[in-house]
Amino acid sequence: MRPVTGLKPGANERFGMRAISFRKFFFTALGCTFFFAFSAIAADSAYEILNLLTANSPSASRSADWKPGEGIALEVSGMDFTADGKLAVAVRKGEVWLIDGMLGGSPDKVTYKLFASGLHEPLGVLRDGDSLLVSQRTEVTRLRDTDGDGVADEYLTTARGWNVSGAYHGYTYGPKRDGQGNLWVALNLDMGDHANNKTGWRGWGGIVTKSGDFQPMAAGMRSPCGLGANLAGDMFCVDQQGTWIMATPIYHLRRGVFFLNQEGIGSQDLPGSPLKLPAKLPNKVPYPEAVRAVPPMRPPAVWLPYTKMGRSGTDLAVCNAGGKFGPFDGQMFVAEFTDAKVSRVFMEKVDGEYQGAAFPFLAGFASGLVRLQFAPDGSLMVGMTSRGWTSLGTKSYGLQRVKWNGTTPFAIHEMRARPDGFELTFTQPVDAKAAGNPESYSMSSYTYLYSSAYGSDEIETKPVKIVSATMAKDGRSVRLKAEGLRELFVHELHADGVRSASGAKLDHALACYTLNRIPKK
Amino acid sequence: MAGLFLPAFRGRRGAVIAVLAFALAPSLHAEPLIVAFDRFHAAQPTAEGGRLLYNELGCANCHGGDTGIPTRRGPVLTDVTARVQPDWLKKFLANPAAARAGTTMPHVLPANDPQAVEAVAHYLGSLRKAPISKKQIRVVNFERGRELFHTIGCVACHEPDAEFQPPEGKPAATDFTHRSVAHAKLDEKYALTSLADFLRDPLKVRPDARMPRFTLAEEDVADLAAYLLNFKESYGVNAPGLKAFKVDPALAARGRALVTAARCAACHDLPKDVAAKTMPLKGGSGGCLENSSVPGLPRYELSAPQQDALKLFLAQRNQPATPAQVATLTLEALNCMACHDRNGRGGPDLVRKAYFQGDHNLGDTGRYPPPLTDVGRKLRPAWLPKVLTGEARVRPYLKTQMPLYGAATTNLPALLAKVDVKERKPLPPGDVEAGRKLLGAAGGLSCITCHRWGARPSLGIQGFDLSNLYQRIQPTWLQEYLINPAGYRAGTLMPSFWPEGKAANMEILGGDTARQIAAIYEFAKSGKGEPEGYPATASGQFELVPKEHPIVQRTFMEGVGTHTILVGFPEGVHLAYDGEHARPVLAWRGKFFDAYSTWFSRFAPFEKPLGESVVKWPAASPGDPPVRFEGYRLDAKRVPTFLFTVEGVRVEERFEPAENGLRRSLKWDAAKLKDLSIAHPDGVTVAEDSGSAPGKRSFTYVWK
Repeated sequence: MRPVTGLKPGANERFGMRAISFRKFFFTALGCTFFFAFSAIAADSAYEILNLLTANSPSASRSADWKPGEGIALEVSGMDFTADGKLAVAVRKGEVWLIDGMLGGSPDKVTYKLFASGLHEPLGVLRDGDSLLVSQRTEVTRLRDTDGDGVADEYLTTARGWNVSGAYHGYTYGPKRDGQGNLWVALNLDMGDHANNKTGWRGWGGIVTKSGDFQPMAAGMRSPCGLGANLAGDMFCVDQQGTWIMATPIYHLRRGVFFLNQEGIGSQDLPGSPLKLPAKLPNKVPYPEAVRAVPPMRPPAVWLPYTKMGRSGTDLAVCNAGGKFGPFDGQMFVAEFTDAKVSRVFMEKVDGEYQGAAFPFLAGFASGLVRLQFAPDGSLMVGMTSRGWTSLGTKSYGLQRVKWNGTTPFAIHEMRARPDGFELTFTQPVDAKAAGNPESYSMSSYTYLYSSAYGSDEIETKPVKIVSATMAKDGRSVRLKAEGLRELFVHELHADGVRSASGAKLDHALACYTLNRIPKK
Repeated sequence: MAGLFLPAFRGRRGAVIAVLAFALAPSLHAEPLIVAFDRFHAAQPTAEGGRLLYNELGCANCHGGDTGIPTRRGPVLTDVTARVQPDWLKKFLANPAAARAGTTMPHVLPANDPQAVEAVAHYLGSLRKAPISKKQIRVVNFERGRELFHTIGCVACHEPDAEFQPPEGKPAATDFTHRSVAHAKLDEKYALTSLADFLRDPLKVRPDARMPRFTLAEEDVADLAAYLLNFKESYGVNAPGLKAFKVDPALAARGRALVTAARCAACHDLPKDVAAKTMPLKGGSGGCLENSSVPGLPRYELSAPQQDALKLFLAQRNQPATPAQVATLTLEALNCMACHDRNGRGGPDLVRKAYFQGDHNLGDTGRYPPPLTDVGRKLRPAWLPKVLTGEARVRPYLKTQMPLYGAATTNLPALLAKVDVKERKPLPPGDVEAGRKLLGAAGGLSCITCHRWGARPSLGIQGFDLSNLYQRIQPTWLQEYLINPAGYRAGTLMPSFWPEGKAANMEILGGDTARQIAAIYEFAKSGKGEPEGYPATASGQFELVPKEHPIVQRTFMEGVGTHTILVGFPEGVHLAYDGEHARPVLAWRGKFFDAYSTWFSRFAPFEKPLGESVVKWPAASPGDPPVRFEGYRLDAKRVPTFLFTVEGVRVEERFEPAENGLRRSLKWDAAKLKDLSIAHPDGVTVAEDSGSAPGKRSFTYVWK
């Protein structure tokens, strides 16, 4: 029992304990009622949203005078599980908490322990052997408890080498490891006072060298808030709609590529740059033209069209739950801030490049989603904070958990591109008459205007005619033959007429496929 | 057009200033410039464009006919010699387009006749009633004037100065899509005081408001005038004054005859004795249209598209324009389109966008003026006149000013209301208390998070005031807008709380969209208090007070930098360490630090120590070897030891409290690194401890 943060005596001092029982923070029984009301309106009945800790302060979170209210200010900004099954949670005020006992289902057993403090707005935490790596504004730091008292006593600088100007938006995201063991970090563009994107790798992603320096790899990002590797070990990143960025994109990060935002490309003149873009870059042109004009420019593997799949993507988590999160192993779940939603993404490789489809998944969370993390038991931890921006949900921060209840949702499981259309597989057997009827589907395709403006409307929208729908023998998949496919366009499918063998409608009939390439066979 | 770009250079008192606008050279563009014609009509001449020219070139002033567009006049000439330098006046009369590129003033005097020019100047001089202003402008600031010129909206019409750097960088000259309104050589034309007089209220001289009136403080007027005259000294009294002009009555009499013959009074307000009668048009071609030098005909040097458009218009000049056409052409004639988009047309073009500044936290809506799409049914009939007269301004964050157009916009509100009208969709009765909740931040939609409410600032980003919602906005438009804000204004930060018409908040009024919107509207109408959920002010609650152990906290700190690591000791002595260059920067006594902004402000301001007796270490010497920070360790008492390397050699640096001071110790392997350059702060006594030697140095600092 000793103060760890040195707060003044008063309302907050009781949190200055090293281990605190959950009961103290599970504010009222009403919290429970609130949560069940929420899960009842969740779109997908196969998944429930469970409350672990949400703010009891109102979500007036842009306030200049905002306060966290009672309890731990669990404005979740990073999550990972430690080797012994505790959830390490970074929070924005600069702390790392270790939460134990929460997967057991008994609120009384949940403990919170402050592991590290005094950090500068950490936006990611990653377990690394016996340490935790956290990203701060200025560096990636290795936190280690060397004396076994459960509190970090080493704060070692593990990566640095980017410009930190003091602009509020100069965030550092990551670190995350890819399949080769590379540690990836992504850097937000500066915005506002002090902003300087001309140098220091703002808007870039890169890896950490052995010597602890930032090695730039990919450019052209704006707010690359969430990183994560897929099961093949390739690194992906979700960015947000904004200047030069027309909707939420998911990039496949690798060396020497440029994505969308031009504001940070000045750094390409620095030593170590893997990229040299032409002096004249396109602006105010349809996106496919821009991609074709600039060879290092790579399209996002998947676009999440604005409002249809949320507004501002913040994180991604690839499901590796061994079937404990339903039928979606290998697929990517994407957190979204403004609408407090999770979308689902299926990817395939065409001509060696990733592309795929986004589907709505789950809405109704308590606050703006910032972090997703699969738990060892296959549930999905959802970390939230809406301070500074507006989001749906009524709380200013919190930690929730999505659990699969064992019933198979009725969803489009996969959507693959074919030379003459698409192939859909469903999570359940479907009514062959409905799914085999081309009239059960409607499709349109569109692209965006690539420009320095903030976001873009969908442009050049045209209907795509579904000329036939042919059921496969397995009763779970259908081949759609479509006329008028366009490369680099988003193809938006509404499978409104599809019914399961038992007559149910799809949980979500919408799918948006980013057709960067039409496969040749 | 872009292919015609030639970088133009303009000399100004020795300083060569590259001008961004691509076509100042009169040889390329001898024609009068009507910006909206250039921008919207020149590529494909139409009768519409012709109507605009017929009005804007003053054709209607001689030939009659009501275009519907606010009348275009020449400047009031009564006191012109109290306003402009006599030599410039003569230069302009001799060849208007040479004195100011793109002027709409045609060449009206006999060619190559300096005596005629002299005579007209004397006639105009004879009209002067006002004395030359004796008012003096004491202090001026050229740089500030330049900043104003490039931020308040002048460059929406006029060309920016290539030496001025907007925050996002200068636009490429090739990106200009239409020409800017050129200035005369203003330092030849005006004196500081007379230009200031003009800027204070251009409508006095130009009642047609083609140069509108900005709301400027006296110092703004002075600084802008200094900038425009390229006057870089601080004392305005040193600026050249207006040259005296002595009128010769005989010459003035001759000038009067010339003015009468040239029909100057058709466009300019002049005494009745030189009035010009209307000259009805006979055909739709010939005459002034042909740029011929027929004596007595004004010569305009019209471009081919201008001639084509005028001919198209004249062929159908008896057909009245529709209200929609008149509305569009009015907005074009006054160049409202320079700043405002209407139905996807107009608004600042790519180049000029760089000069529109505001509150970056509000995104594009924080810097660009609002669209005028549907404005006639968006704003209440009583509100738009308030905007046009300057009585109402709702977007204080825009640096670009909405200027005033005087009588030229008197008919505009009624016209726009007529043109933009659509079927009305009334709101159901509104529940005031539900509106209070919806607007608020306690279970509502948190509108007050981003919007002001009357005198109450919003909780976060400072969007415009919503308390006048009822007075401002029409209910039909409000419903459409709230369901899809981005449909009205792409790039708005305003989210939809009723996406696709479905309420995001199901808890208030059962999630009924129309009733929720009606409740908000009704609450605004009621004037009953403010929305609920404003939090109580927090201050001082986040002061970090080290008690049993030191506190380590990273932050941004003034004078220390972005890698600041603070260490506060229970003994009341504290340190700010630079975690980039591995060096102590500040030490102070008393209170340690208020962590509120570091912990909970989105905007991460640079902080200051909370205590007193702040002492500062001198900056690192350029000759010092590069240092690499490696982190810190906390010991059992949580005292940090900073780790860094100098030329590859690990150094450990540690601070501990001492009596009224700090003890600093540095440890390294002296076999690998002979010694370190160690600086000490001013304001303390420095004592090197006994036993201090290379590899293990320590000092005690005591506040003096």
